[in-house]
Amino acid sequence: MSAGSGPMLLLSFARRGEEEAIRAAMDAVGAQCPGARWAAIGTPASAPVFRSLGLGEVLVSGDRVSPRQLLRMARAQRPQAAVIIYSGPGTSGHLKLELVALAVAAPKVYRFVPGEEARPLGRFCLLGPVAAKLVQAGARVAVGALVCMAALCWLSLKDMAKGGRHARRP
Amino acid sequence: MQATLIIVSYNGRELLAKSLPAALAAARRAGDHLVVLADDGSTDYSIHFAATTYPQVRVLAFPHRGFGATCNAAVAHAETEAVVLLNSDALVSPDFLPPLLEDLSRPNVFLVGPKFLNADGSLTDTLGNRTSCRWHRGLLSIHHETDPDLLRETAPQLYANGAAMAFRRDKWLSLGGFDPLYRPFYWEDVDLGYRAWGRGWRVLYEPASEVVHEQGSTVKRGHRAAYVELMSAKNAVLFTWKNFLDRGLLCRTLAAQVRWAADDVMIGGPLPRACALLAAFRQLGEATRARAGELRERTRSDQEIMAASGAER
Repeated sequence: MSAGSGPMLLLSFARRGEEEAIRAAMDAVGAQCPGARWAAIGTPASAPVFRSLGLGEVLVSGDRVSPRQLLRMARAQRPQAAVIIYSGPGTSGHLKLELVALAVAAPKVYRFVPGEEARPLGRFCLLGPVAAKLVQAGARVAVGALVCMAALCWLSLKDMAKGGRHARRP
Repeated sequence: MQATLIIVSYNGRELLAKSLPAALAAARRAGDHLVVLADDGSTDYSIHFAATTYPQVRVLAFPHRGFGATCNAAVAHAETEAVVLLNSDALVSPDFLPPLLEDLSRPNVFLVGPKFLNADGSLTDTLGNRTSCRWHRGLLSIHHETDPDLLRETAPQLYANGAAMAFRRDKWLSLGGFDPLYRPFYWEDVDLGYRAWGRGWRVLYEPASEVVHEQGSTVKRGHRAAYVELMSAKNAVLFTWKNFLDRGLLCRTLAAQVRWAADDVMIGGPLPRACALLAAFRQLGEATRARAGELRERTRSDQEIMAASGAER
């Protein structure tokens, strides 16, 4: 992999206390691709964490930049690889980051789980786990929708039976 | 104003060795106040320890039925105008009591919470100081102030942390105390504060009264972390179902809860949030009955409660 083309794109929720894991991932990838340029996609909350690690280029979503615009900007940089950093043991959860890794069309993806060694994967190798997680997420949304709809209907009915939906005024 | 200091304990003998003398010292310094140990069915001989080491402490022994129910039973036994509830791991300062009692004598004040500190006197990550409602991705979250500059003055707050709170007993009884809906633990204190604001009463934060407390240490000793997190998430859902009487607010929260159900897949975290929703759903009937009580008794809307208690949207 040459270091001359696009940046390595760091994908992490960058929660408090994860700085060390991000630094370790950068060092590990940096050892395989010396001189690699780094960029990250973040939120207003995670951007300071990335900047504190010396990343000059942090694409931040917010009021002015929609997620779609952000992805377009990331794709335009033609990243060499997407580097996903998982917060806990295993690769469960983090579907959001994996979807971003697919969306930016980086040819390679590194997945860093704390305490495990990472190897690069082809982009399409990520499709299987992502599809499985999409099914899981869909099932949870369906359960959530059923529960919340039932709760709303039941509570509304009972509110009406009790004679009002608004707080009694003094 | 006379007060009863009630220390609620479950298998907390080691903690009581520190917290009982601190409570006794505070009670003695502020006058002739009573200290009570409310034991929630401990099996570590806490009662024997307290009765033999501190004979001036009155001991109430209950069968094991959880924090909220034990608090309710103990407060029912109290006879004073003011009651102070304390966890067994809450170490009160010698001057803890007078500022709380002074606040309780103000008009319309029901509940007062002290300033919570870490054992080293710092405020980092402390919970229970100047609490307020915040909104995160459409869901209610509780903000605990940690900025020292904002913690210097008495101020309204959403609720007082159940680890150390002082209240007027008559108003507690009229509210029905902690709602058993939130068993086994967590969110009963938030609910109590919210209902008090809903009746037009006030809840205050009092920095002149200090407590050293390690949040969650009593709960975490007896339960797995995943279970604690699940119960907390379940009760957060039940809180909104019971208390959000404004239809728009309830609908927005429920929509956010649908998305929240998939958050463990989308953004990670060990808690299967869909399980928390299902666990809450099992208590829907109970939440509905509690909500009916709120519909009868409320004198303030949800927006008014949040504005009065210092919420930021």
